[in-house]
Amino acid sequence: MTATRTSTGRPHPSWFTRFWAVVRYEMLWNIRKKKFLGLVIVAFIFATLSWVLPVVLSATTDQAINANPEYAVTFTIPGIGIFLFALITAMNSISSEFESGTIVPLLTKPVSRSMIFLGKLLATFMIILVTYTILFVYVVIGGAVVYGPQNNLHLVPLGLFGNILSTFVWIAIILAAGALSKSTIVSTLVALGVFIGLFLAVPIIAVFAGPSPVLNYLPGSGASGTMMTTQGPITVGAGTDGIGANLINYALYSSANVDFNTTNIELQDGQPLITQALAYSEPISVITSRSVATAVVYTIVFLFIAWIAFKWAQILE
Amino acid sequence: MDLAIETNGLTKKYGSLTAVNKLDLKVQRNTIHGFLGPNGAGKTTTMKILVGLLKPNEGTVKVLGQELHGSKNGGVLKWFYEQADSRLSIGYMPELPKFPKHLKGAELLDIYGQMYGMTQQQRKEQIPKLVELVGLKGRENDLIGKYSKGMQQRIGIAQTLLNNPELVILDEPSLGLDPVGMVEVREVVKEIAKEGRTVLVSSHLLFEVEQICTHVTIINRGTALVSDTLQNVSGLLSGPAMLHVEVAKISNTIVNAVKKLPCVTSVVQTGDTLRIQMETHEDMRAQVSQEITRSGGIIVAMSQKTSNLEDVFIQLVSKDQGGKPQ
Repeated sequence: MTATRTSTGRPHPSWFTRFWAVVRYEMLWNIRKKKFLGLVIVAFIFATLSWVLPVVLSATTDQAINANPEYAVTFTIPGIGIFLFALITAMNSISSEFESGTIVPLLTKPVSRSMIFLGKLLATFMIILVTYTILFVYVVIGGAVVYGPQNNLHLVPLGLFGNILSTFVWIAIILAAGALSKSTIVSTLVALGVFIGLFLAVPIIAVFAGPSPVLNYLPGSGASGTMMTTQGPITVGAGTDGIGANLINYALYSSANVDFNTTNIELQDGQPLITQALAYSEPISVITSRSVATAVVYTIVFLFIAWIAFKWAQILE
Repeated sequence: MDLAIETNGLTKKYGSLTAVNKLDLKVQRNTIHGFLGPNGAGKTTTMKILVGLLKPNEGTVKVLGQELHGSKNGGVLKWFYEQADSRLSIGYMPELPKFPKHLKGAELLDIYGQMYGMTQQQRKEQIPKLVELVGLKGRENDLIGKYSKGMQQRIGIAQTLLNNPELVILDEPSLGLDPVGMVEVREVVKEIAKEGRTVLVSSHLLFEVEQICTHVTIINRGTALVSDTLQNVSGLLSGPAMLHVEVAKISNTIVNAVKKLPCVTSVVQTGDTLRIQMETHEDMRAQVSQEITRSGGIIVAMSQKTSNLEDVFIQLVSKDQGGKPQ
């Protein structure tokens, strides 16, 4: 079969070859960022501490470490970690191309803007996938060494998938802010503003106005509830940051319900009395599917905004 | 005429500012075409339109026979796809190019080569040659972040040649280079053209353009003032050339012999010096010196006063801006 030719008579290079070049370009950028390497090191230090500390305490108090066969399967990256991984990998991706002027030689290569955008996205996905996979494998090995044989290891990829999806909600928001503003500082501040704003606002709203279901449709941790299991009560975050844990919870306790409580503060004999009352209950299946659907919608909408903004951005400098 | 670049009525506006105004630019294939103009004349904007970085408001652009920007068939997606394909045969170096600092020089070329669809083998063969051509041998495995401005210019030139382009567009390739670097860049540009490529080069350095270009377009306020061969443009505003010849053993025989040359309109003798007014602005020194020698004279010195590109540039631009020609 002969290769197709362009209008200038040259052999038409395959779409994939050009696309993969963009992926390489972006991956090298990401893995050589000092802040990314720093974050990975910090993540591994925290993971290590989670099993080194019990060993140290056990040695100092002469108490044996309790076996925890669910340690690895219930491991999840906390919301702040998910946000930071998204921020560090995506903050420069589009905006700094414009700021540094590297977009000019890139756009004069035979790669379309859509191809560049998709390539950057795939590179970001691959970086997150590889980093999280290594982290999860590390946790499984560490958990097995410290807490004994681990159960339900076949569910670990489910948790990994959930964490990646949670991260991509923030990545999409950061990319959209970066493509619209063409400024790393603006996109970082927007992302931090949204994250910190929701991080502070959601618990406050939950206390004063009750755990409104609306909170579960915002990016981030969402409303917090309690699920009773055979292993005891488990705290469940119903937002997009908790997808990894929720998928595991659903796999392990598919028929369990999550109770969301309202906190009441009353004065009794001049003393504040804090009581909790059940606001509503939801099956874990509903919470999980809703958080996945919400994350998918946010990811698609913000990536679409980022793509459109990148595609039509003017190169003035 | 086989054209590598052809624009008709090309117009680009930024709000109320018209950067390029109904520009008709024609660049013949296999020429080195100088693109001159004062700051803000619209050179960089035109070049960005030619490589698809900017979309014009009006006019048509044909690059290597392929029409850009004007396609209204196939919708937005087709427009973008075609734009990307048209760049397969073009090498472009922007003014003061910026490349990702985290990449090594050779890595950058390798990735860009892959974007052009070059195989690994082709890249392995091509990249060392280019690195050597632009004088970066031994530094190709350093991070671009550690490159000097001059080295970034050099890697910028190398990346334009990766895909053996038919058309090379260089925007101020000597900017930021030291004198040695400027000479080297001139040599590289000449080398590029020797291989049968078309080169469009913008420069502020008129003597540089005179040394390397075969054709010149001068633009001001987005409009072409003149576009022709370098020789014709250089002679455009000059009157006939004047030769000053210092002759040992001068005699009437020599003066009369020179006067009889068809290209000579008058000869004035002052001591041992002849001031010869020519009919043309072309270089006739060889014919004149041959005639003097044949008549028994010995030429001690000879110079020709003609207007150069700088004179033409200043006169044209001043006139266009409403000033008096200098």
